Amino acid sequence: MQLYEQLTQDIRFEEGLNSCMNCGICTAICPAAEFYDYDPRMIAGIVQSKDESQIEELLKSDAIWYCGECMSCKTRCPRGNCTGLIIMALRSLSQELGFFTESEKGRQQLVIKRVIGENIVYRGYCILPENLIPELHPEQGPVGEWIFENRKEVYKRVDANYCGEGTGALRKIPKESLDEIYQIFEITGGFERFDQIEHFSKLKARSMGFSDVDEEFTDYINHTYTTNNGKHNRP
Amino acid sequence: MKHIVIIGGGIAGMESACALTDAGHWVTLIEKEAQLGGKLNQWSFLFPDFTPAEKIKDTLFDKCQERDFSILLKTEVKSVQTHQKKFNIETFGGQKLEADAVVVSSGYELFDARRKEEYGYKIYDHVITSADLEKLLRPGSDLSVAAGKNPKRIAFVHCVGSRDEKSGNHYCSKVCCITGVKQAIELKKRLPEAEIFCFYMDLRMYGKHFEELYREAQEKFDIQFIRGRLSEAAEKMDKSLLIKAEDTLSGRPLKMNVDLLVLLVGMEAGKGTATAAAKCSIEYEDSGFLKTNDTFLFSNFSSQEGIFLAGSCTAPMSVNDTILHARSAAMEVNSWLRKQ
Amino acid sequence: MQNEGKQKIWKDYQKEIADDHYFYVRSCIRQNFFPGSEQTFLKILRAELNKDIFENPHHTTCSGIGYHSDIVPFDTIQTIVARQFALMTEAGYRNLAVSCITSFGIYNEIIETWKEFPNELEKIRNYLKKATGREFKIPQNVSHASDIIYKFREDIFARKKYSLTNHETGKPLKIVEHIGCHYAKMFPGKGVGGAEFPHVLVGMIESWGGEVIDYPERRHCCGFGFRQYLVMSNRGYSISNSKKKFESMEPYRPDAIASNCPGCPMFLDRWQYVIEEMEGKTYGQNGRGIPVLTYEEMAGLVLGYDPWDMGMQMHQTDVEPLLDKMGIEYNPDLKYAGKDGKQIGQVKMAGCKC
Ligand SMILES: Cc1cc2nc3c(=O)[nH]c(=O)nc-3n(C[C@H](O)[C@H](O)[C@H](O)COP(=O)(O)OP(=O)(O)OC[C@H]3O[C@@H](n4cnc5c(N)ncnc54)[C@H](O)[C@@H]3O)c2cc1C
Ligand code: SF4
Ligand code: SF4
Ligand code: SF4
Repeated sequence: MQLYEQLTQDIRFEEGLNSCMNCGICTAICPAAEFYDYDPRMIAGIVQSKDESQIEELLKSDAIWYCGECMSCKTRCPRGNCTGLIIMALRSLSQELGFFTESEKGRQQLVIKRVIGENIVYRGYCILPENLIPELHPEQGPVGEWIFENRKEVYKRVDANYCGEGTGALRKIPKESLDEIYQIFEITGGFERFDQIEHFSKLKARSMGFSDVDEEFTDYINHTYTTNNGKHNRP
Repeated sequence: MKHIVIIGGGIAGMESACALTDAGHWVTLIEKEAQLGGKLNQWSFLFPDFTPAEKIKDTLFDKCQERDFSILLKTEVKSVQTHQKKFNIETFGGQKLEADAVVVSSGYELFDARRKEEYGYKIYDHVITSADLEKLLRPGSDLSVAAGKNPKRIAFVHCVGSRDEKSGNHYCSKVCCITGVKQAIELKKRLPEAEIFCFYMDLRMYGKHFEELYREAQEKFDIQFIRGRLSEAAEKMDKSLLIKAEDTLSGRPLKMNVDLLVLLVGMEAGKGTATAAAKCSIEYEDSGFLKTNDTFLFSNFSSQEGIFLAGSCTAPMSVNDTILHARSAAMEVNSWLRKQ
Repeated sequence: MQNEGKQKIWKDYQKEIADDHYFYVRSCIRQNFFPGSEQTFLKILRAELNKDIFENPHHTTCSGIGYHSDIVPFDTIQTIVARQFALMTEAGYRNLAVSCITSFGIYNEIIETWKEFPNELEKIRNYLKKATGREFKIPQNVSHASDIIYKFREDIFARKKYSLTNHETGKPLKIVEHIGCHYAKMFPGKGVGGAEFPHVLVGMIESWGGEVIDYPERRHCCGFGFRQYLVMSNRGYSISNSKKKFESMEPYRPDAIASNCPGCPMFLDRWQYVIEEMEGKTYGQNGRGIPVLTYEEMAGLVLGYDPWDMGMQMHQTDVEPLLDKMGIEYNPDLKYAGKDGKQIGQVKMAGCKC
């Protein structure tokens, strides 16, 4: 199947692109366009052109990973498009085809899958207090560090039910509920997406010379988490 | 003698009325406002050659005065009934008219710029519409006060309420591009120190002398044209406006601070035309503009026999095109009546 | 600035907000960073407003952060959301009260998708049935928790202990609002006041005595950007967007920032600290930061709740300047204390003034 045709299978693509008149409204308010060398208008233009080689290039590029999915572009587009939704369809396809490992920003999918993905399936949360390790989150500041170091007591102080039974903030999600989430991932293609991310990332890690002694590819993950070639911003 | 009722006393209605009178018919022109002339009453100078709108209106008005037909001002149609090839028309004032043919020339209304929320019309003090600006450019108006004390930077925004799914209007309003050029030049003449920018998507210089005027705006008046549609405006502390667009030709998001923002509002068929269409039981298009029988040969024919269309109630058009369309409507009415 | 245009917009976007019997779904980010706000919300609804709001411990994340960082497929999140709806249906509720803006956007997006593509709904019903044996009804009303506080803002003010005014001068406090992008930018009709001039926080602030300041970058995203914050090497995106907002609001000298989003107040709080560390720049008065509030904290302060009970010690940018202006009584010694009144660990303030 042609890449363009594959994109059209995604409902978000159908929702995201009617036809683009190149007005630039989306780019004008896009927080990503202000920071990165990124132009959502051009993304809409490329997919609309149905030019297979340009679409392939896009799927392998950093460009599709710049968007912050804030959906500010949806409010304003005079043609009812939403470049954020087009991006979501492109990112899904890029992961399906393994193209995401071709770009620095795309390679970050593995670490997101490992942290957020596994939190969702095995803990029932996207993020958890124990993820906020001060070295990885210096922006959380001394208060963040204090919360992290003393999380049991701090959460208790504000009536959260951290890791506890029953209701409340940060409660432990009962096992039978996590089993249901697991089943949902199994049936709806959630694990398939996870496996694609793992599979293509490992291939890439090896080809980049990261050792696979450790099946976790920790070095590769650390590399993708912290690397920034400095070429992403507008000149 | 045949009797023709014309609904709408803008320039289209006035011109049709004169032409039909000249052809030997009796005409009644119905206008809901207190004076004839429609939008032209509010405009200052007309593109493409800066003829005062007043002059065109007065000439047409004199032309009407010289002819003998009846004019009903402040009058609206209550009902139109068809009976044996005649149209029985009743006005809200209680007058009853019997007509052999009807011409609808109910014109257009301006897009309500408040609907384009992100531009802050009626919220931010220095955001005005092109229609507001026309009034300000008329003799005797104090431009500097309305535009803030001495605006240094002025931006025009094209396509406000046109070519925009969010506003519900998919069509192009056709005259706002050239209106923008006209107004930018006029402003520059009065505020030679000001920098003026036009944010456009396509410049539709379709008419005679339009392209030349655009070129003059660039070369003689130093007006900057930026290809990028405005995404939003926001008011700053000093009441100047922060505007955001993309300069699509260089592919860069662009932010600018301006002292006055002019929204080139589009045309909508509006309530007047919708009412006229409903009373006459004629069809309109998705856009709200009245449906003509055919695009090429029958552009003055409505969906109902004996009811004709003239001017901007059928589509956005310039004064020039409106006059021509009104004249051709008179001709079509005339030949149709002869055949009866 | 004229209010006429805003009034019209507010009149045009009146959304239906259920007035009782809510099924509560929590937010991952808020549970981590503002757990006290969620507790405060429940307390206000139950103890002050006498409302029925139910929480089922079996509900989970909606997986929204995973979805918006593209590791969770659309089918998967739709089914997880369907499961939340099933829990609501089974508990006999029809009104969803959503703590999170990301979730709120997702619930709306999914419900709208189902309306437009009924086959999609059927597919998800089957998935859910197969995975969990559950069935569900689509909620009658989906309200964000801030919608609910907005709806009852006058009832809350009727029970007030403080107002959003300077207790010495009696003047209204100047507050800037920040609305989470996914609240109404995707579906303007789903937010109180629409996407461009939301009324949800404005209504609260004005009803409670404060003055809202509209600043140029009000509508700009805080810069969370999901993957743009989650991955360390992308965080420049996040901070630079927040910074743009700070610079834009600074000249108005706001007394506080209020937000209805889970992530935004955390970023607007933490990035002030980072900017001070990096550049020595602060945006508030007297060389300090601008306190950042969730709407529940704002409501709680008005009602006279203890700031430390609500978790305001978990902010990095001190809230005391605001508490002092409002004349709120609080015990500074108990700020970092536990339930037993004893200090919890040690906060290294590392030279941070804000
Ligand atoms: C900002 C702006 C600037 C412009 N500048 C120029 C320019 O410089 N040069 C140029 O060529 N064109 C210009 N135009 C276009 C110009 O305004 C139109 O071409 C012209 O007004 C069309 O005339 P009309 O008679 O068809 O409609 P209108 O001018 O709209 O007149 C319609 C008349 O019908 C009446 N009416 C409506 N409904 C009813 C009803 N149900 N019963 C009774 N009466 C009714 C109305 O009250 C009105 O008097 C401009 C347009 C805009 C928006
Ligand atoms: S706002 Fe819409 S029409 Fe304009 S450039 Fe972006 S996608 Fe294309
Ligand atoms: S969703 Fe993406 S493309 Fe759209 S405005 Fe936000 S960051 Fe830009
Ligand atoms: S005439 Fe120009 S400004 Fe008016 S709608 Fe058409 S393109 Fe836009």
